[in-house]
Amino acid sequence: MATKPDTLLACAPITEKPGIDRAMRVAIQRARHGKKAPSFSQQQAFDAAVAKLVVAIPVDAQVAEWFANENLIPLAKPRWRKILLNPAVIAVIVAVTVIGAVFAYRVHEHLKDFPGADKARRLLSVAASSRSVILDPLQTDAGTLTDLFFMKHRLEHYDVPPEFADFRTLGTRVFEDEEVRRVAQIWLVEKRMQLFLFPAEQDPKDGSLKDFSDWRFVELEGWTGAVQQRNGVCFMAVIRGREKDLAPYLEKKKQ
Amino acid sequence: MTGDASKAQAAFQDTVREAALRSARDEPLPDRLWFFRDARWRCVAVCEQGIQAEAGMLEEADISPVAPMQIGQLEPDQLAVWISAAPEPQRSALALFYLDEFTLRELLSLLEMKAAAFADLLSSARRQFQAWLDATTPYDEEPFFDGNQA
Repeated sequence: MATKPDTLLACAPITEKPGIDRAMRVAIQRARHGKKAPSFSQQQAFDAAVAKLVVAIPVDAQVAEWFANENLIPLAKPRWRKILLNPAVIAVIVAVTVIGAVFAYRVHEHLKDFPGADKARRLLSVAASSRSVILDPLQTDAGTLTDLFFMKHRLEHYDVPPEFADFRTLGTRVFEDEEVRRVAQIWLVEKRMQLFLFPAEQDPKDGSLKDFSDWRFVELEGWTGAVQQRNGVCFMAVIRGREKDLAPYLEKKKQ
Repeated sequence: MTGDASKAQAAFQDTVREAALRSARDEPLPDRLWFFRDARWRCVAVCEQGIQAEAGMLEEADISPVAPMQIGQLEPDQLAVWISAAPEPQRSALALFYLDEFTLRELLSLLEMKAAAFADLLSSARRQFQAWLDATTPYDEEPFFDGNQA
């Protein structure tokens, strides 16, 4: 049974023109410098002699004239529609679109980010896994907890903003987190919202603490947090839902 | 490929006519090989109407080192007749291969066959042609002249 190089050698071109496959070039080079050199050179001489005679076969003058005019009939130009409907092209377009969309989403997500956004997302996962039983039961107005945090836990400026100060609480706790450090967590009766107070993060560029009074949002697996930073302390209101579910509570102050 | 110039010309004219009709219908030809593919099938169809050559009937011989000289003694028409007498698809394979105009990939596309089959056809054709050459055009090397014998 003939091997692939033998097959290629049997079909070796009579004259080597540009565009010959690499496998064919390799097979020819090996044949010329190997054991098959004598038989291959005989085959090449044989083919060259036959080709020379073929060229000399007389062709009818009219047919020869037709052959001379290579542009007798226009060839098809590649059509965009046909190219675009090629499954390989479609696959590439889909893949590039998906990669582009993911990249754009990541960029968009990070454009909205602020110092402390990573901490806030971490606390969203804490909110998702928290049960009310782990908190110390305490039924009072959320706004009054500022004094409790300061008096009992020595947490300064852990203030609940006016937007949430009047809501009744179910419980509260203060805990230590490896990354976020000392966190105050409050559970509200209102829609089972949770409030978090935690130390703000320094700006990585200049090391300063830049407070912001507008609400900035973070999202994680169906949970949304609205964050505000004052006096070096971040306040985050968390709800299970989307940004629009939190929006009514954030506008309360304006009214 | 047909062994008859008038048949070949008629087949080629039909191909050109078909190409012109397609162009008129705004159906441009898909590629440059279309011409050769269409002409080939027309030639094959023409040849099927006549007496058919049978495969495997010819003797074979190894390619001789003097084959180029033997071929050099042939008239072009003799070669044309020998190729046209070969059975399909060997006839098409020989005609297209020895035109020396196509790459292997193009040849396989035109002939609609695999490389191994094409290689087998060429190899057996070379050996058959050599046997035919040996029978019809023996090449006598010049006898060695020994001065001492004179």
